[in-house]
Amino acid sequence: MNKGKIVSIHSFRGGTGKSNTTANLAAQVAMTGKRVGVVDTDIQSPGIHVLFGLDETKMGKTMNDFLHGKATIREIGFSIGEHSSGGEGRAKLAGKNLWLFPSSIRGREISQILKEGIDFNLLNEGLQKTITEFDLDYLFIDTHPGLNEETLLSIATSDILIIILRPDNQDLQGTSVTVDIARSLDVPNLLLMVNKALPKYDFVELKKEIEDKFNAPVTGILPLSFDLADNASNDLFSLRFPDHDWSKALRGVAKAVLAVE
Amino acid sequence: MKSDVLNQLQKTAIFKNVSDDILAEVAIKASTRKLVKDEVLIRKGEKGDSLFLIHDGWVKIVTVDSKGDELIINKCGPGETIGEMALLDGETRSATVIALTEAEVLELKQDVFEEILKQRSDVPLAIIRSYSERLRFSTTYIEKAIDWSQKTAEGDYSFVEQIQPLVEGAGSNDDKAAQLLSAFFAMVRRVKEREDGLKQQLEKLTFEIDQARRKQEFDEITSTEFYANLKEQAKALRQKRAQG
Repeated sequence: MNKGKIVSIHSFRGGTGKSNTTANLAAQVAMTGKRVGVVDTDIQSPGIHVLFGLDETKMGKTMNDFLHGKATIREIGFSIGEHSSGGEGRAKLAGKNLWLFPSSIRGREISQILKEGIDFNLLNEGLQKTITEFDLDYLFIDTHPGLNEETLLSIATSDILIIILRPDNQDLQGTSVTVDIARSLDVPNLLLMVNKALPKYDFVELKKEIEDKFNAPVTGILPLSFDLADNASNDLFSLRFPDHDWSKALRGVAKAVLAVE
Repeated sequence: MKSDVLNQLQKTAIFKNVSDDILAEVAIKASTRKLVKDEVLIRKGEKGDSLFLIHDGWVKIVTVDSKGDELIINKCGPGETIGEMALLDGETRSATVIALTEAEVLELKQDVFEEILKQRSDVPLAIIRSYSERLRFSTTYIEKAIDWSQKTAEGDYSFVEQIQPLVEGAGSNDDKAAQLLSAFFAMVRRVKEREDGLKQQLEKLTFEIDQARRKQEFDEITSTEFYANLKEQAKALRQKRAQG
């Protein structure tokens, strides 16, 4: 019986704001009182631990060690509710049930998982064990951009796949392939989220057009925001500026995740 | 005719709280004036010393705009009162009133009015009460107008839908505060419509997905042995999860 849901967050290309979105989504879901875990597998981006204000030198073992039986999941899970600091937004997570599971640190390639022979069942058992041990309601996986084998594993094991795209032709082209793959792998819930949309576009029309193209719900259109860029990785934007349009739209996506049965 | 006048006086804001016996006396003391079309009843700048009740016909209230052209501020017809404030403050007339049609008006002179005020001590109190009510009413509307102006500035038009029926039901035609609010609502509605129109002018994005490329990339990914295995395993997993 698996209680918690695995939510993979993916984008076909880099630069969509995926890690930032994942961190904020996980935080928003945790704020509702849910028990939430985040697996960070996208090592190319600044690293989700930075968004949570965590010092990577304090994080020792990784998800890989756990999957290979070299560590227990308890050793990997890093409590954000207990350690999060240095930010007005992050401070709101104090006492919340939110854990970060670093997958790879200090430059270790995530493709190591494959080289070391992690297969689908091993990954899935590991994720299920993580959910059970921490009694999680949601386990978010921040995946690699593109569709390499490791990302395909994450997608295949997901209960919910959120695809983040920017409103441009290249992202839509790439998303079309990811959507086909997700359907081929029988992912039960496919949600789209548009990020970095220029405010000059008609968001209502945009939502309709993308939904028509992919036959999947667009759970939010988040505006391109200089405020957000300015905040960079310093804090969790949606917690620090809850009234900002970006934050409001993000909460809409969190709501869509929570609404999945 | 005099009972009509009494009726008309009762409806006039200034006399709202004045007893009928006094109004009957006022009615008797009012004189009738007949106007031909285009006759000037009141001239802007003249000292105002009487109130007029329009009994029959129509008049226009005009002023002159910056170019010297006539500007009609309002039109008044049977039952309406002009220049009532003059009875109290005796200020000069702020606009010119001209008969639009043949008209019959009743004139109540300031000195006649003041005579009545002196004889009956309850009349001034009744008039003060009328004005006080009116002032209170106007103040409430002004406060609302301020609140709504702020909301409009913030782009919050929700009050238009919520409050409109109240305004339409409130106040008589001669109530300027109600007229102001009515105009205010019309303005906000127009502003909102214009804004909605502008929103519709937002740019539309159109995308084209290269379906051949889409299929090619999908085939590349799914044609591997890795993918075939993964698909099998994922399928088994879904079935297992579905069974709980």
